[in-house]
Amino acid sequence: MVPRLPVRDLTSRMLPTSSRRQLSTSSKTNAATTETRSTQHPPPGKRKPLTKEQRDFLSSALRVNQAGELAATLIYTAQTPVVVARHPHLRPLMKHMYDQEAGHLDTFNALIAKHRVRPTALYPLWQVLATGLGWGTALMGREAAMACTEAVETEIGDHYNEQIRTLLEMVAEWEADGYEVGPELRDLISTLRRIRDEELEHLDHAVEHDAQKAEPHWLLTGVIRAGCRGAIWVSEKV
Amino acid sequence: MSPSRRFGTSLASQLLRTPLPPSTTRTAFGRHCYHSYDHPPAVAVSYGSTEQAILSAAYTHVPQHGFSQRALALGAEDAGYPTISASVLPDGAFSLIRYHLVTRREELSGKTKTIFGEKNLGAQQLSTAARVEQLTWERLLGNKDVVHRWQEALAIMAQPSYMPSSLKELSLLADDIWFLAGDTSVDPSWYTKRASLATIYASSELFMTTDKSEGFFETRDFLRRRLEEVKQMGSVVGSVSQWLGFTANAGINVLRNKGLRI
Ligand SMILES: [Fe+2]
Ligand SMILES: [Fe+2]
Repeated sequence: MVPRLPVRDLTSRMLPTSSRRQLSTSSKTNAATTETRSTQHPPPGKRKPLTKEQRDFLSSALRVNQAGELAATLIYTAQTPVVVARHPHLRPLMKHMYDQEAGHLDTFNALIAKHRVRPTALYPLWQVLATGLGWGTALMGREAAMACTEAVETEIGDHYNEQIRTLLEMVAEWEADGYEVGPELRDLISTLRRIRDEELEHLDHAVEHDAQKAEPHWLLTGVIRAGCRGAIWVSEKV
Repeated sequence: MSPSRRFGTSLASQLLRTPLPPSTTRTAFGRHCYHSYDHPPAVAVSYGSTEQAILSAAYTHVPQHGFSQRALALGAEDAGYPTISASVLPDGAFSLIRYHLVTRREELSGKTKTIFGEKNLGAQQLSTAARVEQLTWERLLGNKDVVHRWQEALAIMAQPSYMPSSLKELSLLADDIWFLAGDTSVDPSWYTKRASLATIYASSELFMTTDKSEGFFETRDFLRRRLEEVKQMGSVVGSVSQWLGFTANAGINVLRNKGLRI
């Protein structure tokens, strides 16, 4: 049906990581950490408890991902009838992307419930905004709808990459100190990688379907990308 | 309705209507942080050992002496600290109240197995609502031995400096009960469920302080009725928003059938 495209490596396109937080794996100061590293080795199989900072990071990461995937399902839900009515051949593509978004949302809903994280408080607001964005861009035409996907997926892809890097650094630091890493975090990293790859696949589909022919492309994607960054910033907090 | 019962409900609603400073409301829902199964926090114990020893000894004096300095002093003596230093328990009587709140709440997750059976076999036959009722009732029974002292405790908890801590404990209790009952909803109902259960728990607890019935069956009735009311209210809210969504969709579909490409 829809060919799986080779996944683009985003690392080269990454923005400078100034906004990304570096998490210390120790609740003590950094000086204390280096000292422990050289003097004592934990017994094999020992796992380090998460620090408050790490737990806060994981909470807000899961919360913002839930909000983002909720928005994504709603954007496609709103776009599909309009786009498909004018371009019936896009039905399988729209359905394929929607199905993947619905899968992502289920994944994060389950993780939020399992790890007892407070869900996003602005649920109704995201519902209204995402539906409006999806419907609005679809009414502007196929190219605008695809430009919307392009803009959203670019931001989301970067956002997932930042989370993956932060987690990889955390895991690397544990391993350097001789601690074991539980399956919970390894699974989370591989889940995030899979979802990021699927988002980038959506980005490729959008570009293939003339996202960049939307007029005025720069304004449309600029506004939507700024909106995404704002929404991510808000849902990390609320 | 007996006069004592009316007193109970009106005081509860008064307590619940007290406006809170913004910082307090933040703490009430701000503690739901990532819960790790593979990398749990190192300190699982809620108290230091001296504190723990004094508080657990003092707790046995609460039925007779209330949540008071007197009970604390007796507890410190029993634990081998004849003069308690103020730095160990800076909150005085409130630290004893908090000890009660924390230990009774933490006990609940252990009791879940006894109530619903090993591997939650029994729980599968019960609805989430029934499990919530059962767990809330179990927690109310945790007040049984101190119920005649509980109004004094509530008066201390309502003091402005202790209000945030008391509310935080209440919100943790509501969160624990929904979690232990197996609820996995992560939509806006997450908030309304916790807020309404916290309200119901607080009013049932107050009702119980004046309940003289056998085995507190009137409190159990009160609890059941309040939960039932919320269930009905929830379904009204749910069907209104469903109806709004349905109407909007139907309108759009009519226009689409008329050939509009929207
Ligand atoms: Fe997604
Ligand atoms: Fe996507």
